[in-house]
Amino acid sequence: MPKQIINLRLNGKPTEVAVEPSWTLLETVREALGYTGAKEGCGTGDCGACSMIVDGRLITSCLMLAPQADGREVTSIEGLAANGTLNPVQQAFIDTGGVQCGFCTPGMVMAATALLKANPKPTFEDIRNGLAGNLCRCTGYTKIFQAVELAAERMATK
Amino acid sequence: MTQTEARPSTERDANGHKYVGKPAARMEGPAKVTGRTIYADDMKLPHMLHAKILGSPYAHARIKSINTQKARLLPGVEAVITAADLPKYKKNPTNRRSIVFPDTEALFAGQPIAAVLASDPHVAEAALALIELDLEALPNVIDPMEAMKDGSPLVHSSLSGIDRSEEQGHVAVDLESGNQEGKASNIASTTPFKRGDVEAGFAEADVIIERSWRSAMVHQSYIEPHSTIADYADGELSVWTSTQAPFYIREELATALDIPESKVRVTATEVGGGFGGKIYLSELMVSLLAMVVRRPVKYIMSRGEDMVAATPAPFAQVDLKTGMKKDGTITAIKSQLVYDSGAYPGASVAAGALLIGGLYRCANLDIVGYEVLTNKASVGALRAPSAHNATYAIECHIDMMAKELGLDPIEVRLKNAVVEGDPLPSGQAYPAIGLAECIRAMSESNLWKGRAASKQHKNRGVGVAVGGWMGGLQPASAIVTMNPDATFNVTVGCADITGVNTTFQSITAEVLNIPREQITVTYGDTKTAPYAGMSAGSKTTYTVGRAVKLAAEDARRQIFEVAATRLEATPDELEIEDEAVRVIGDAEKSIALTRIGRWTTNFGARYPVVVGRGSITATKMAPGFTCQAAEVEVDTDTGEITLLNYAIAQDCGFAINPLSVEGQMQGGVSQGLGIALWEEMQYNSEGQLLNANLLDYRLPTARDLPKIETIIVEVASEEGPFGARIVGEPSIVPGAAAVANAVADAIGVFINEVPITPERVLRALGKIGNGTN
Amino acid sequence: MRSFAYHAPKTLDEAIALLHELPEGARPVAGGTDIVVQMKEGRTKFPYPQLVVSLDRISALKGIEYSAADGLRIGSGATMSEVANHPAVREHYLALAEGAGVVGSLQTMNMGTIGGNVCNAAPSADTAPALLAFEATAVIVGRTAQRSLPLSNFFVGPGRTALKPGELLAELRLPAPPTGTTSAYQRHTPRKQMDIAVVGVGVALTIVGGKITRARVSLGAVAPTPIRAPKSEAALEGQSPNDATFAGAAEIAASEASPIADVRGSADFRRHLVKVMTARMLARAAERAKG
Repeated sequence: MPKQIINLRLNGKPTEVAVEPSWTLLETVREALGYTGAKEGCGTGDCGACSMIVDGRLITSCLMLAPQADGREVTSIEGLAANGTLNPVQQAFIDTGGVQCGFCTPGMVMAATALLKANPKPTFEDIRNGLAGNLCRCTGYTKIFQAVELAAERMATK
Repeated sequence: MTQTEARPSTERDANGHKYVGKPAARMEGPAKVTGRTIYADDMKLPHMLHAKILGSPYAHARIKSINTQKARLLPGVEAVITAADLPKYKKNPTNRRSIVFPDTEALFAGQPIAAVLASDPHVAEAALALIELDLEALPNVIDPMEAMKDGSPLVHSSLSGIDRSEEQGHVAVDLESGNQEGKASNIASTTPFKRGDVEAGFAEADVIIERSWRSAMVHQSYIEPHSTIADYADGELSVWTSTQAPFYIREELATALDIPESKVRVTATEVGGGFGGKIYLSELMVSLLAMVVRRPVKYIMSRGEDMVAATPAPFAQVDLKTGMKKDGTITAIKSQLVYDSGAYPGASVAAGALLIGGLYRCANLDIVGYEVLTNKASVGALRAPSAHNATYAIECHIDMMAKELGLDPIEVRLKNAVVEGDPLPSGQAYPAIGLAECIRAMSESNLWKGRAASKQHKNRGVGVAVGGWMGGLQPASAIVTMNPDATFNVTVGCADITGVNTTFQSITAEVLNIPREQITVTYGDTKTAPYAGMSAGSKTTYTVGRAVKLAAEDARRQIFEVAATRLEATPDELEIEDEAVRVIGDAEKSIALTRIGRWTTNFGARYPVVVGRGSITATKMAPGFTCQAAEVEVDTDTGEITLLNYAIAQDCGFAINPLSVEGQMQGGVSQGLGIALWEEMQYNSEGQLLNANLLDYRLPTARDLPKIETIIVEVASEEGPFGARIVGEPSIVPGAAAVANAVADAIGVFINEVPITPERVLRALGKIGNGTN
Repeated sequence: MRSFAYHAPKTLDEAIALLHELPEGARPVAGGTDIVVQMKEGRTKFPYPQLVVSLDRISALKGIEYSAADGLRIGSGATMSEVANHPAVREHYLALAEGAGVVGSLQTMNMGTIGGNVCNAAPSADTAPALLAFEATAVIVGRTAQRSLPLSNFFVGPGRTALKPGELLAELRLPAPPTGTTSAYQRHTPRKQMDIAVVGVGVALTIVGGKITRARVSLGAVAPTPIRAPKSEAALEGQSPNDATFAGAAEIAASEASPIADVRGSADFRRHLVKVMTARMLARAAERAKG
């Protein structure tokens, strides 16, 4: 199938890339553009490891066709630590031990970042709901819950 | 609720420790939270091909012919490879990993039969559909209880000389496993343990419980599927793979391919979760594919392939009869444990058989474990392999007997809990262990203390259970090198999954008394790193950590030898303080470490380079025990179970990094809870896995698990660094039993099959029939 | 995923024309949360598409509007999140918001559309029971004509709808519920999220002067399509909203279900859940009527 050109803003940068229509956004960002932070854990939208934010909404990039991202604003995990400074969610994941094997972490951090953007003072239930689409097999979530709480607290006092 | 947070440590604590015992943020944290960490699928090699694998559509089939012509002709396909195309290699019919593609007979649905290689993985995928298989379906056997019977179809011809090297990486136990001699059978091994006279024991008992307990086949479900890259050039094989066991793979590949171990470089890439399931699987296959095409080959399993054709954890049926006296004394334990090993041997039956009689003192045991073959994916380890199945049975029995006799579940456990010196069913004596300490700690937990309040609510219940794991033992080594600027590099050969590198950093910092930031830790590949056993069996900190401590002490000794000549003192009069070597009690007499760094490295240096070496062998077990409690609420109309609270107390010997110890405890708990409530590989009668995805194979989500109350217990081990003992595995073990006991406390019925699904709850309550339609 | 050609038309007419050119080979895709998974796994209920017609750029398919006179219009391209969080949906059609608010994960809800949920025609579709209870009409556009179909006639079988090749579901129209109407939807799943309904029950009750004047009971995942339970509804109408009434109606609803046994549950389990959950949803809706 011939490739087609799409234009998107990836992590704030205008980005042109030739894609096959059957590529997913995840494949495009990982393989064609070389940003390998987002992971494929299942390929069917069930694990959340590929989560990205597209036009302000958290999505699973393994289910978005590449051309569907044409003209959109895409943020991947590489777009969060502006100027090399970790965002509060990233820092809190490190401080509470919310990171183990790290494979779910990029997606989990994206989900937590999206959650706190929409809801800066989440209840425990809000946190659980906000992360329910992101499977973690290592931590049992306890330290991830604590990370989100800590990030919310730090963002509120800043 | 513990809320541990990493913080810089500077002050010495009551034990005189400055770095160990303090929560430390993981060294690789920043890379992991920014997505910069490189996993195998993130790697590309020049000229690399992608492999896609065609699996057997049948659970048992004779391979009559494979026509690859159409697939080869698809534009973009570089090669289509079947068993006939592979170079000669050493096969072992008892070891699935060494049967790359079966020549004549496929033994489980999804077993690899052929590979397509292409630069574009999509092309390779498309070509799979063009391979024409001529297979003859053979009679299969899927249910291990059926497979045990005389006259059952055979999974394959009877086996001898079973390769158990991988199993031994997880658990070090003296045991005698016998193969079934004589006629062909699906029983791959039998493990008996006997002590005393069980019939006499039952005669003494005031209550006897006899029941059968079933626990489902479950999957490790690391979020990163199996991922391997191999390249072969100039007689040397290089493999990058997501594994817990690089040196083990080196040995296996060298043997199978007849290449010297010195010419096999295995690099354990960052492991995106293993839990015992990432030891050795596709590495030989990918290596052979690379040898055929003389190009690097990458194989990333899809989630579906990983579910169908990796190495899940066995189904088990445990028939158990136990007796107890009114005073709570356990009088007899009689059990038959049947573990479904799938199409090849590998289920750790011995571990289950050992633990069912190894948690409590009991004079009379009659235990026999069977490892049974079926036409399903063969099993591997999952965090304390085979322990949860057996523990579920014995721990529910303890509650059932205690309930009959009106005894307190904590008290009855404390009364019988094994302590140092008590024998295992194998006869080995326990070293220092902390089972009783964990039970006592749990009795002080918020969850357990809130038990009475919980009972005020209808259909709520609290349950407790214990569990343990012996742990593995393997030699290990480490190197600590001093740099000219007085920073240090630690080099080890074990894959870091759980944060062990940060633990090694803390150990080195403690020994050298220098800030953690001045120490880096690297795990090398099998050519550059000092040998280590597999990161399995909970032993990495226990063994490699010990080697690191020795290596750091060796480096310190070398530093003191240099300093002693300049400070007019003997090495044992020296200490490191404020990044300088000084004479104890005389702060004026000191030399900055940086000067020693230069003196041992510069041109014309007068002293040899400081290279600390630590090399150990581990012979003493340091078993880890845990006591866990669950509070649940059961909806008796829908069968739904809500986990309200959960607590774990675990003996870790000494928590070098409490942050990662808690993480291991909580992670194991979540997997135990998955086993208890949700996870089940559902096969149909033809051996097809019906839920080979993460939607229908249900890992617990953030909405399903509460925050876990986490209590660290410390009963020092004899050999572990600073008293540390095994940590990773015990936490998974008692979850199924704790939840089952909590459910029974809530609704009065013990559910004898995990996962305890809503449907099983309703059946146990008699609200729906026995479920045939 | 195997390859295909791709177009993302901006208008409905263009989309229809594209679908019409390849009636068997073209496939509309909206959020992709069902169909992309099926295509990846090679288990589409239709021939693998040669052409994917993405609907995500067609503004005519977007939007949710409500008026007391005309009721609710939901563009088929409205996402689950948009439906679940829309104030008018929450106020007048709460069961629908509840159904849309449990589909998959947040990510799924941000991508998946109500049109996709309906056209995928899974018996377990979480928006379907509420849509049936609110008597939704499917507005279908084809090359030459537009037609409307009660949603109950839109579902034909598992994964099958009344859409003909070249037709698209443009919107769903839900009449304004009579005064005094409240509703509720719940599904049973083993996990609290990220799951497929084992059983879903949606109800809408109109209670006037202490009597049920209109009742709608709909069931998901217990028949080849999402269904209404008309006998159960008849047993409710004219009665007082109390536990005895609800228990009787729930018992009847269970008899109207014809569940199968599959990997998610046995038939008798499902039938039992219909009974339990129908009684609960009726009670919940009645409770909501009290405000």
